[in-house]
Amino acid sequence: MTRAPSFVRFATLALMLALLGVVSAQSTTALRVASTAAVTTWDPSLSFSTEAVYMANIYEPLLWANATGSAEKFTPALATSWETSDDGLAWTFHLREGVKFHDGETLDADAVVRSIDRHRAIGGAAFIWAPVTDVVAVDDMTVRFDLAYPAPLDLIAASLYGAWIVSPAALDAAEADESYFEAGIGAGTGPYTLADYQPDAEVVLSAFPDYWGGWDEPGHFQNVVVSIVSDQVLQEQMLLAGEVDLALSLPPTSYASISADPRYAVQTVVTPFNYVGFLNTVRPPLDDVRVRQAISYAIPYDDIIAVGAEGLGTQGRGPVPQGIYPWSEEVPQYHYDPDKARQLLAEAGHEGGGFTLRLTYAAENAIERGFAPVLADALADIGIQVEIEPLLFNQQWAIAKADPAEAQDIFLLLYWPTYSDAGSDNLWSMFHSSDVPFFNLSYWRNSVFDDLVDRAIELTGTDRATAQALYVDAMTILVNDAAGLYFLDAGAWYAIPTYLSGFEYNINYPFATFFYPIRLAD
Amino acid sequence: MREGARVRGASGVTGAAWRMFAGGLAGGPTGGPAGAGEPPERDDLAPPRSTWQRGLSILKRDPLAVFGICVVVLLIVVAAFAPKLAPYPAMGEGRSSVSTRVSPPSKEFVLGTDRLGRDVLSRIIYGTRPALIAPLIVVLLAVAIGAPLGAIAGLMGGWVDEVVMRVCDLFLAFPSLLLAMAIVALQGPSLTNAVIALAVSWWPWYTRLVRGVALSLRHQAFVEAARALGASTPKIMLRHILPNSITPILVQASLDVGTVILATTGLAFIGLGSQPPAADWGLMIEDGRALLRTAWWTSTFPGLAIFISVLSFNLVGDALRDLFDPKEYR
Amino acid sequence: MELLKFVSRRLAFSLLVLAGVATIVFALTRIIPSDPAALYLGPRARPAEIADIQKRFGFDRPLIEQYGQYMRGLARGDLGNSLATKRPVTQELGSRIAATLELMLAAMLLAVGIGIPLGVVSTSLRGSIGEALVRVTSVVGVSMPAFWLGLLLQLVFVHLLGWFPSAGRVDAGLRFVAPITTVTGLNLLDTLLTGNLTAFRDALVHIVLPAVTLAAYPIGLVTRMTRAAMLEVLSQDYIRTARAYGVSERRVLGRFALRNAVGPTLTVLGLTMAFMLTGTFYVEVIYAWPGLGSFTVRSFLNVDYPAILGMTLFGAAGYVLINLVVDASQALFDPRVRVA
Repeated sequence: MTRAPSFVRFATLALMLALLGVVSAQSTTALRVASTAAVTTWDPSLSFSTEAVYMANIYEPLLWANATGSAEKFTPALATSWETSDDGLAWTFHLREGVKFHDGETLDADAVVRSIDRHRAIGGAAFIWAPVTDVVAVDDMTVRFDLAYPAPLDLIAASLYGAWIVSPAALDAAEADESYFEAGIGAGTGPYTLADYQPDAEVVLSAFPDYWGGWDEPGHFQNVVVSIVSDQVLQEQMLLAGEVDLALSLPPTSYASISADPRYAVQTVVTPFNYVGFLNTVRPPLDDVRVRQAISYAIPYDDIIAVGAEGLGTQGRGPVPQGIYPWSEEVPQYHYDPDKARQLLAEAGHEGGGFTLRLTYAAENAIERGFAPVLADALADIGIQVEIEPLLFNQQWAIAKADPAEAQDIFLLLYWPTYSDAGSDNLWSMFHSSDVPFFNLSYWRNSVFDDLVDRAIELTGTDRATAQALYVDAMTILVNDAAGLYFLDAGAWYAIPTYLSGFEYNINYPFATFFYPIRLAD
Repeated sequence: MREGARVRGASGVTGAAWRMFAGGLAGGPTGGPAGAGEPPERDDLAPPRSTWQRGLSILKRDPLAVFGICVVVLLIVVAAFAPKLAPYPAMGEGRSSVSTRVSPPSKEFVLGTDRLGRDVLSRIIYGTRPALIAPLIVVLLAVAIGAPLGAIAGLMGGWVDEVVMRVCDLFLAFPSLLLAMAIVALQGPSLTNAVIALAVSWWPWYTRLVRGVALSLRHQAFVEAARALGASTPKIMLRHILPNSITPILVQASLDVGTVILATTGLAFIGLGSQPPAADWGLMIEDGRALLRTAWWTSTFPGLAIFISVLSFNLVGDALRDLFDPKEYR
Repeated sequence: MELLKFVSRRLAFSLLVLAGVATIVFALTRIIPSDPAALYLGPRARPAEIADIQKRFGFDRPLIEQYGQYMRGLARGDLGNSLATKRPVTQELGSRIAATLELMLAAMLLAVGIGIPLGVVSTSLRGSIGEALVRVTSVVGVSMPAFWLGLLLQLVFVHLLGWFPSAGRVDAGLRFVAPITTVTGLNLLDTLLTGNLTAFRDALVHIVLPAVTLAAYPIGLVTRMTRAAMLEVLSQDYIRTARAYGVSERRVLGRFALRNAVGPTLTVLGLTMAFMLTGTFYVEVIYAWPGLGSFTVRSFLNVDYPAILGMTLFGAAGYVLINLVVDASQALFDPRVRVA
C-alpha cells in the first residue's frame, strides 16, 4: 500500500528526534528557575502575594533581616546605619550614597519618604506601618520615622511586603496612571531589572549594570529566567531532566529519592509556615475546654507530620512558628494520648464521643489535604465523627467569618507572619478577642491573654526580653485552654545542583529567593 | 426541516464518546458518513430472526463484546459487594494507615498502598461505586429531562418544536465538558455537582433522539388512530412515543456510560469532581501523581481501572447498537 | 450567491447562539457562594477594602444592571478583567491562543497522518483483519483517559528513557541561545520561516508528547471514519465499473475512492478540532503547556469568573466557528446542502 510508508516515516522521524535529546548547556548567561509564584501585581505597594519572589530581586528595602542564628540581626540595604530614640518613638535611618534606580534616578530621602507614604496609603500590607504617624526627610540622605507607640521599626522596615523603596519617577507615573506598574515595570534599586513578563508563564530578570553591589565577582548570572510552573511534580521533572537549574517547590514525597541523588545538595530548612486548627469555642460541644483538650490529646502529631509533610516539620508550640520571634520552648505542647482523650471526653459528659464535627480546609492546600483524613481517623478512634469539607480558601474563610454559631467546628489554616514578628501578627491576629471575626476563627475570648499580648506588642520595640516573657505567659494560657490545635511548623527542602553555589534560604523571607548571590561553582 | 435531516456524527463507540466534546457539531447537514459505521450485513435471504438469536450470533463472531459484557457484569458485582470483596474494607472507605504508607505491591497489598497507607486494590474496588453510579444518574437525569421534551416537541410540532429545538441548539453550541466544568467551578467542586452539571449539558441529545422517534411515529396508523379517538398529547406520549423510544435510548445510554466515566474521573483529576477522601479513580490518579516516579503503582492501577471499564462499556454499547440498530430513528 | 446566503443565515444564527450562551453563563456566575471581591483581593483583604472593590466593580448593584453592563461590554469585545491576573481577559486569551493552536494543529497532523492511512489500508485488508485493526484502534483511542495516558508517557519517555522534555513549549534558556522571532506565533512555523533550526528542534521535541497525548482519541476516530467512508464509496457503481475496466487497485483507492471521501473527511477534521478544544485542558495541565487549556483549568479552580465567562464564551465561539466553516465547505463541495 502507498500509505503504509508514511507511518514508517513517522516512526523513523520520532526515533530521530528522540536521539537528538534535549538541549541544555549551562553557562552564566541564564539561571533557569521553576517557581510556582504567579504575579498578582507588579505594583511594589500593592504587592502582598507570591510575586515577592521577583520583587525581592528587583527592589530593596532599607534593611534586610538576617536568618536566625546570624551574628547581626540585620544587613544594611538602602540604609547604612540607623538609631532609635530612648523612648522608642523616633527611628532615624541614614541612606546609602550613590545608589541608582533602574530608571536612572538617584536614591535620596525624598524617594524613601514618598515610597513609604504610598505603602501606608494604598499598600496591601499597609497595616505594618500602623505605629508610624509621620515619615520625615531630615536632610538629603536621612529619614526619620515618628511613632505613636514603640514598635520594632527595624523589623517592619525589613518586611517583604510594603517596604520597598521605589523610584520617584515611577511614583509620579503611577500617580497619573494607577495601573502603571502592571504592564511589567520594575523601578527599584535591586540587582536585577524586570526584562520580560509573560503572565503565568515566564518572568525574565536581567542584571542591572549600575547595581551598587557591583558585578565584579565572577560567576554571577546575567539573566534569570523563571518559568512559572504551578505543579510541583512538573517542577521535579524539569529539574531532573536538566530543563531548569533550580526548582523552588519540589513535592515533599520526592525528598528521599532526590536526597540520594549525587547531582544535588539537599538543604532542609525551617519555614515560618505553621498549620493550626481553630476549634469553634462558642458552640457545643467545643465550648467545653475538656472536649477541646480531649481533641488535642487525640491527635497523632507524628503521623500528621509524616503524611502531611513527609516528616519535614516539627510539632507546633502554639501559633508562633519555630525560628520566629517570640517562639519559645517553654510553651507547653499536647502529645498523642488517646486514653487521656477518652477520659476527658467522659468527664465532659461525652462518654465514647458520639457527636459529629464539621472540619473545613482549603482545597488548594496539598498539605492540609494530605493530613485532614489522618486527623479524622484519629478522632474517629475516640468516637468523634468528622465530616471533612474541602473548600476554596476564600469560601472557607467567608463561611467562618459570617456567623460563628453557624460556622464550622474545626478550621484548618496555614498562617505565616507578614514580617518577622509573630507576636503582633500570629498571636494577635489569630487569638486576640475581636467583635468581628477576621483571623481569630476560634472566636475565643480571654481578657488576660488580650492584655498580655497588648502589653508585649508595645514593649517589643524597646524591651524585647520582657515582651518575650509576656508572650510566653500568653501562649501558655492559650495552649492550656486548647482554643486551637497546633499541628506542625512546616519544614521545606531545596535540591541545589552541585554546579551552583550561594543559594541561601532566609526564614524571614520564605517567599523570596535571592538570585544575586547564586553563582556557578568552579 | 434541517434538524430532521441532521444526523449524528460518528457512529458507534466514537459517536457516543464524541458527543461529550463535539456537541452540536456532530454531523454536517449531509450527515457525512454518519450512520454508516460498518456497512450493514446484507443477508436478505436469511429468514427473520428473533432478537435473542441475533444477539447470540453477534456474540459468537465478536469476542470483544463478550469480553465487554463480562467486565461490565464483574464491575456491577464488585460495586455491589465491595465491602465483602475488598481485602481491607476500612481502607477502601478511606481509613488511613500511616505505618504502611507507600508500600510496593506485595502479598499483603497486591497492588501496593498509597500516600495514606491505604490498600490500592481496596480503593479501586470501592471506586467502582462512584464510577458506576455517577454515569447512571447522569444518564437517568438527562433522559428524564430530555425524553419528555423531545416527545412533546416531536408530537406538537409548530412553535413548541421550534422553541425546544432552539434551546437544544443553544446547549449544543458549546463543548459539553466546558459547560460542565464551568457549572462545577461556579457551584463548588463535588461529585454531586459534577453529575448535575453533566446531566444539564447532556439532555439535549436525548431530546433529539426522542423527537426523532416521535416524528417518525407521528403519522403512523396507530398514533393517528389514537388521536382520532381523542387521546390527549400526554397520553400519546406516554402510551406510544416513550415506550417506542426505550430501545434507542438504551443503546444510546449504554454508549454514554463510558464517556461519562471519563468525564467524571477527568473532572476529579483536575480538582472539579469528587473530593478526598472519596475513593474515586480520577482522584486516586491525581493523588498518586506526585509519586509516579517513586511509586508508580499508586496512579497506574486506578488508570487501568478507568481504561478497562470505559473500554468494556463501549464494547457493550457497540454490540447493543449492532443488535438493535436504531438507525431508522437517526 | 446561494452559498453566500446560506453562510450569512448561519452566521446570524451563530451570533444569536453566542448571545444565549453569554446569558446562560452570566446567570451561572451570579449564584456562587464565594465573594468575588474577596477573591480579587486575596486571602488577607480587609472588610473595608472588600466593600471598596465591590463598589468599584459594581458587584453591589442589581443583577439586571450588572447583566446590561456585561452585555454592553461584550458587544465592545470587552470580557472584563481576570480576578487573578487583573489583566483584561481578552488579553489573557489572546496571548495564549497561539500555543494552543499550535498544539492542536500538531495533534491534528498526527491524527490525520496516522488515521487516514490506517483507515485506507484497512479497506484493502479484506475480511476480519482490517475490521479488527480499525475496531481496536478506535475503541482503545476513545476509551483511554487522556490524563492517564499523559502521565504514562511522561513516566516512560521522560523519566525512564529521558528522550523528551517534560514541560513547556521551549527550553527556558533558548531565548539567549537562539531567540524565536515571532511571525505567526506558532513556534514550529516561525522557526522554519526564519531558518532558526536550533529553536525548531527545541520546539519540536517539546511538542511531541503533548501532541501524541492529544491525538490518541482523534486517531481512533479518523481511522474509523476513513474506513467507513472508503467502504461506502468502494461499493458505488462507478468504482465497480472502474474495477471492471481493469483500473489498478492502487488507482481505484487513491484516485477515485479517496477523493470522494473528502467531504466526510472534512467533517472529521472539524470534529477533531472541536474535540481538541476540551482535550487540551488535560494535556496542557499535565505538560505545563502555556495555552488556553491550562489557563482555563486554573481559572475554573480559582473561581476567577470573568475568566470562566470569557473562556466559556470563547470556547463556544470557536465551536460555532468550526461548525460554520465545516458547513460552508460542505456546501461548497455539495450544492445539495444549500437548499436543505
